[in-house]
Amino acid sequence: MAKEEYRSGEIEQTSKQHGRVIATVWRALCRAWRVFQYSSVYVAVLATTEVGVAMLVLEVPPNPAPPVVGLVTFAVYANDRITDVETDALTDRRKAAFVRRFERFLYPLAAGAYGLAVTIAALGGPLSLALTLLPGLFWVFYAANWFDGVTEAFYRLKEQFLLNTAMIAVAWAVTITFLPIAFAGGGVTLTTMTVFTYFFLRVFVLAEVGNIPDREGDEVIGVDTIPVLYGLDGTRRALYLVNLLTIGLLSVAVAGDHLRIVHTAPLLVGAGYSFVVIGLIGRWQNLSGLSQLVESEHFVTYVLLWVVLLLA
Amino acid sequence: MWDIDTLSVVYAVTLGVGVSAALIAWRERDEPGAIPLLGMFVGQCIWVAFSLFDLQLATFEGKILWSELLWIGVVSIPVSWLLFSLEYTGRDQYVRPRYVLVLSVIPAVTIALALTSRAHDLLYTTSELVVYQGQTFLNRSIGPWVWVVMGYTYLLGVLGTIPLLDFIRCESTMFRGQSGAILLGTLAPWVSNALFLGGVISIPAFDPTPIAFSVSGVAYLGAVTQFQLFSTTPSAGQHARRLFIDQLQEGVVVVDDHGFVVDMNDSARVVFGVEEERVLGEQARTVFRRCDSAQRHESQGGRETVYSPHTDTLYDITRTEITDSHDRTVGTIFSFHDIGDHVRNQQRHEVLNRLFRHNIRTDTNLIVSHAELLEADDETGDPGKIKRGAYHIEETAAKARAILDVFEQSREQTAASELSTLLAGCVDLIAERYPSATVESEPVPAGVYVDGILETVFTNVLDNAIVHNDGPNPCVEVTVEEYAETVTVEFADDGPGIDEYEQSVIERGTETALQHSSGLGLWLIKWGAEIADGDVTFQANEPSGTILAITVPKIDPGADAEGDLDQLLEP
Repeated sequence: MAKEEYRSGEIEQTSKQHGRVIATVWRALCRAWRVFQYSSVYVAVLATTEVGVAMLVLEVPPNPAPPVVGLVTFAVYANDRITDVETDALTDRRKAAFVRRFERFLYPLAAGAYGLAVTIAALGGPLSLALTLLPGLFWVFYAANWFDGVTEAFYRLKEQFLLNTAMIAVAWAVTITFLPIAFAGGGVTLTTMTVFTYFFLRVFVLAEVGNIPDREGDEVIGVDTIPVLYGLDGTRRALYLVNLLTIGLLSVAVAGDHLRIVHTAPLLVGAGYSFVVIGLIGRWQNLSGLSQLVESEHFVTYVLLWVVLLLA
Repeated sequence: MWDIDTLSVVYAVTLGVGVSAALIAWRERDEPGAIPLLGMFVGQCIWVAFSLFDLQLATFEGKILWSELLWIGVVSIPVSWLLFSLEYTGRDQYVRPRYVLVLSVIPAVTIALALTSRAHDLLYTTSELVVYQGQTFLNRSIGPWVWVVMGYTYLLGVLGTIPLLDFIRCESTMFRGQSGAILLGTLAPWVSNALFLGGVISIPAFDPTPIAFSVSGVAYLGAVTQFQLFSTTPSAGQHARRLFIDQLQEGVVVVDDHGFVVDMNDSARVVFGVEEERVLGEQARTVFRRCDSAQRHESQGGRETVYSPHTDTLYDITRTEITDSHDRTVGTIFSFHDIGDHVRNQQRHEVLNRLFRHNIRTDTNLIVSHAELLEADDETGDPGKIKRGAYHIEETAAKARAILDVFEQSREQTAASELSTLLAGCVDLIAERYPSATVESEPVPAGVYVDGILETVFTNVLDNAIVHNDGPNPCVEVTVEEYAETVTVEFADDGPGIDEYEQSVIERGTETALQHSSGLGLWLIKWGAEIADGDVTFQANEPSGTILAITVPKIDPGADAEGDLDQLLEP
């Protein structure tokens, strides 16, 4: 009996130890995820995936475009987090605390990442360098009162309704679509323009979903976004419309032989996935989780593309 | 070693370092020198990037295009360098749009010439492709304008270096490190460019300057990370020094070792009644003569003093020699300390001293003499004189008390009083005190405020006018003239008038053993008016008597000390 009690106690103790280990590992994983997310590495991986999608759809041979876009994305978003730390503190205190704590490392790291991206891009020629510098120019225009003190007419583009999101979408769509082509030395075709428009619409969705958790902060600083002006229901309906436009675009492109069906099918599935997730806007309170679900569309699309291409 | 692929990688890395450095400078754009430094980085990046594309292309047309465009970067660097140096060292008064425009004329002309270089020979006389160790380079023979640009570049380079050299010798390790790193970063490309222009580089048509920018980038990043460039800049110190000198209450004039005025602060400009622009570069002797030399006092406590007619004040002069690092005298600082208050206090002290030494002793002697006579013989002594002597002492004591009250009030915050109320109070008091006298007062403008200390002054003026009038019905007329910033109150009496001798003593402001006034009344009036920032003048009245005019500044009753303090505490 005593032996059984001893064994039982031992099992209990071992179980507690295991529980502690699991809890520690879990906490470490959560911390790592937060670092991954807050430091913009996550967004960089997402952008790299988007370039991967573009390269597969455009059938561009492997080149340095994905790491260049990844580095640029990390740099731009890290800087954006530093710039917006005050407003982020209203909506995501943990993120703001992380950025404040590591700001003195984050900015030099971002500048270094951008420098590295430029180094790689410069070796690809003038066009790839120009495309790599483009998000940097938007970085400057987007985050700073460039015309401060010169004229009242040019105030932060960030505050302009739709223009702010459209500007981000254009910048990323240009880089994601044309940088791989610039590296490969290819030309611009109707397929390229279709892919460009596709990414413009997809980044537009991502940007506006990203604006949902920031809507209080944006309202405070006078930035007009769809969530600020039309609320969650309005945002959901607006993004449904953008998704419909995406599906329409892909359908027309397939019908016009500008896209192959093996490429279009995964993109359509991705858009369908986005439809479902966007339906959760205003119905699911976990805004951070919602953003991640929307962003996951590109991971889903990328994996599906590979699967379809391997099967085909 | 010199294959194009390796060189391309070096160029690309240099470009990457330049972009990183530019982004760091952009973040610090509010700090002094950050924007010009950003301009310099952008110029370097343009030069490096276009050199890289020139290097990578093998076609003649392509190489020509990039070699022309890279001039944009080449010419923007020296201008940015000079602007950075000026701003970083606190000389940002020269970083103004019009100066930047002037500095940009030669760069703008150069860019225009570069973009049209195939239409003229000013920038390049010949262009050809040369092959060196299997690599294709563009060889261009430089034209006359290149020497103009190079001369201009090196001139701006030297001008930008001079202010930074000051900090190389500075005691602060931080500023020494910053300046050293910046100078190293700037010298590297210049030296390599000079070697290229001098034909020292063995590879034909290869300018290694863009590679040297990698040294610049590392040096500048070192200045930012190791020596906190932008976190701590010497710019504030330079401004603070200037501001400190400008805001000193003492006048400061800096004279070089040739006797010319090289600097002057605001207070000194007031002392000499001049504007800075008109004085700098003038002989100090000429400027100093603007103060009345006839009234120079050599004996004020053994110190040299000067009287300024522009401020109506005496100044004590201090000379401090300026020496360089080799202990050579390179100039002199003259500081002018306002000793007007000190001198006035000294004069008051002398007058009061005389009062106690002379007047009271005289009265006391008189009383004692008559008392002794009375003691010896009832018929000889005069009790009336004893009585008058005692009254005289009492009167002097009352005046002394009034003077002490006035001095006491002068140490306190000025209390504004409405002139009409103040004057009416004085007139009523005198009318009550001397029923046989007539005091006529014209209507006084409402809303005029003066220093409250004038109540004692006006009462004494009226009192003196009546007491010293021998007539049965003394009369005093009071009139008030209001001006923009001052107000004049005139008291016209019909008495015997104030003796000219008395007037001259009072106007001179001090007494001597041989020259002194008869009493304290006029001194009280003069000192009280001075404490109220005013002055007193005398004029003969017709047919008899004196017109005593007191002119004082008007006071804003709202400007009290508490308000000032609140304003001071506002951000």
